[in-house]
Amino acid sequence: MTPETVIRRVLEGDIESFRFILEKYESPVVRMIRNITDSTDSSEDIAQDVFLTAYKKLASFDPARSNFSTWLFTIARNKSINALKKKRALSVTELPEKADTREPLHDLAKKEFFDQLDRKLRALPSRQRRAFILAEFQKLSYEEIAQIEGARLGTIKSRINRAKNKLRSALKDLDGDIL
Amino acid sequence: MKRQEVYNAWKERKSQIEIAENFTDGVMIQVYQHAQKKRKPMFDIRQLAELISAHPLVQAGLIAAGAVAGFVRVAFVVCVFLGS
Repeated sequence: MTPETVIRRVLEGDIESFRFILEKYESPVVRMIRNITDSTDSSEDIAQDVFLTAYKKLASFDPARSNFSTWLFTIARNKSINALKKKRALSVTELPEKADTREPLHDLAKKEFFDQLDRKLRALPSRQRRAFILAEFQKLSYEEIAQIEGARLGTIKSRINRAKNKLRSALKDLDGDIL
Repeated sequence: MKRQEVYNAWKERKSQIEIAENFTDGVMIQVYQHAQKKRKPMFDIRQLAELISAHPLVQAGLIAAGAVAGFVRVAFVVCVFLGS
């Protein structure tokens, strides 16, 4: 069943068909929100809001303009940006996570490198960061990312390349191999 | 572990996701609630009929109001007739 068929059914009154959309897109939407907002706690709440908004606005979805997934990810992107703005306004200082000393040494080293990459990712300008997340974690095409971000294809390619270069520089800081 | 492997492992970790089991049901409840709210008319005649039939006091009140309205109407017509 294609998303377009499901949408038609939902608009005709078969609300239960919306479950199909949920089951198909809940993972990519929650993942995208979690990575953009950098928050595990609130990502499901934001995702619930995304799906409810999608249901309310379903009649306005135009298959001639974009794929359903692109339309849905655009809603998720906008909600994530709004959530980030609210989060920054609250300006809660997060305490750094303490390393679990029970972990084996190589796991601790790996965790340290992951944290370093996380920090580099967090430090990227928001547009570069979003473009990188959509390309590398969501595995979306550059065309889809351009549609979601409302930017030109060349701009998106450039943002992703810049983000990758900055993360590569973080990798260069690593001393040889972890193990 | 090589640098590229670290990078790939990091990307893999960022791509993994665990969602609460009741996530779908939670959203569906909200969707149904929204649909129900949307469908609910401002004035529900069936609900009103049920209210009247369930409460004898409401029934008596309506009959009294009808009788008063009828009396006023008759009095008005008589007044108009006598006045002319």
